Amino acid sequence: MKRRRSPAAKIGLAAVVALVAIYALFPLYWMIISGLRDRPHLYDPKLTPGPFALSSYNTLFGLTDFPTYFMNSVFVSIITTILTVLISVPMAYALVRSQLPGRMLIVRSMLFAYMFPALLLALPIDIFLVRAGLDGTLIGLSVVYLSFTLPLSVWLLWSFFKGFPFAIEEAALVDGCTRLQAVCRVILPIISPAVVTVTIFAFLLAWSDFVFSLILITNDSQRTVPFGLVAIIDMYDTDWGVLMAGATLASIPLIALFMFLSRYFVTGLSMGAVK
Amino acid sequence: MFIAFLAPGVLVAIGTIFLPVIYAIHLSFFKAESFISTPIFVGLGNYAQMLSDPLFWIDFANSIAYSIITVALQVVVGVAVAMVLHQEFVGRNLLRGAALAPYILPTVVAAFVWKWLLDASHGLVDAGLLALGLPLVDWFGAYWTAWISIIFVSVWLWAPFVTITFLAGLQTVPDELYEAAELDGAGRWHRFIHITLPVLKPVLMVIVLLRGIFMFSKFDIIWLLTGGGPLQATETLPILAYRKTFATFDVGGGAAVACAMFLFMSGAMSLYFYLFPLDDSQ
Repeated sequence: MKRRRSPAAKIGLAAVVALVAIYALFPLYWMIISGLRDRPHLYDPKLTPGPFALSSYNTLFGLTDFPTYFMNSVFVSIITTILTVLISVPMAYALVRSQLPGRMLIVRSMLFAYMFPALLLALPIDIFLVRAGLDGTLIGLSVVYLSFTLPLSVWLLWSFFKGFPFAIEEAALVDGCTRLQAVCRVILPIISPAVVTVTIFAFLLAWSDFVFSLILITNDSQRTVPFGLVAIIDMYDTDWGVLMAGATLASIPLIALFMFLSRYFVTGLSMGAVK
Repeated sequence: MFIAFLAPGVLVAIGTIFLPVIYAIHLSFFKAESFISTPIFVGLGNYAQMLSDPLFWIDFANSIAYSIITVALQVVVGVAVAMVLHQEFVGRNLLRGAALAPYILPTVVAAFVWKWLLDASHGLVDAGLLALGLPLVDWFGAYWTAWISIIFVSVWLWAPFVTITFLAGLQTVPDELYEAAELDGAGRWHRFIHITLPVLKPVLMVIVLLRGIFMFSKFDIIWLLTGGGPLQATETLPILAYRKTFATFDVGGGAAVACAMFLFMSGAMSLYFYLFPLDDSQ
């Protein structure tokens, strides 16, 4: 709705806009500049950045296991993402295309499962793994992450797929395409935005998880970044500079994804993809 | 072919979701001294013990209060921000992105950034209070300030969900409704109360239910900010379940709390499914 604003209303709006921006972004700004601030000045209550120094980052990389945690997170998140996409895409496709009895039951259970408290799953899984002597591996953690990435992905994909004109697949077959050609030339182009959305959220959820890694990972060298940051807090007498450097690096992959692929985020986020 | 497409996902869901839930229920009927000692069947013993423990009821009340207050504030803040972002101004898309940023951060990052800002000895917030000549506050050190901090951070982190959902809803409200109201002389506030809110009531219902379900079972943000302290002041049911299991190794007791939570949440979850049935139409 276009409307003309009086000068006073313009100033008022500008003030409110500035307030919203500061409220949302200031903590992130403070995180970034604290990590980059020279350590003797860390406690200066100075709002502008600087004096710059990489000393906190040097400590983070030199004296903590952060590089290991980071690689563990990369490994776990990628494995989870690949498994999620490989399993959920055919599953959602079958749920939309088939007339199998019970398919709505599966969709409903998936949405229901996504609302589960993480703790309710993590506790019994851990006790089971401890008693079976299988606890604390990164591959195990990646598989356990499917307990929330899979329901979310199937549910999101199902919501997207049910509006797709899959009937053109039949048309392609009639026109003499093989099944594989039909999938590659007709199906893949229409589903790829949905698959990108699901890929992003599977990665985001696995990357951000704290609860499952806290409960399932027992060996310090297998911690992922979120749980690793807690180890850094415990190890040093809470060194905020080092911790903010680590927090910045933990956020960078997500912020980068968000900046370049924000249109995929918006659909998923508005469907409640992040708890 | 469809069966082959469904099978792996169904098997994974059974293995990582269905069986653990069954196992949690099973565990809640047994008493074990440690993770590896032989469990003894106690029937509903763990539940009886749980229900007679005043701490369970305090934590239950804390969980309810935490979810009601944080959901209410998320709605107020989220809707207010959505109304701002719905206005036309230069850089609106940029601000829409910025307003969502907290929501995509890992909870651990949000918790530590705020712990640093609110740190009692070197935090920026207390430095600000000092500069203004106000008394310093040990934010996580006392009952009320710890709760205020947890609630504030929770709202900061999750209100963007309300913003993005409400904003999407705002775009569906027909302009004619506002134009008609304006001709009738209705002011901004009246248009909001009498048009925007009633039209978007279903959207708000989804928001309140989903956020309520998620906030009731939040573990990580409270655990990271206060660990349930000081002295269990900010303990909620998920923290009680965790502490029973991993601090006192009372596996059955922890499982009983988790199952009780789940039973309670099922009500809200069923209500969600009843009010918003899945639409199978293509």
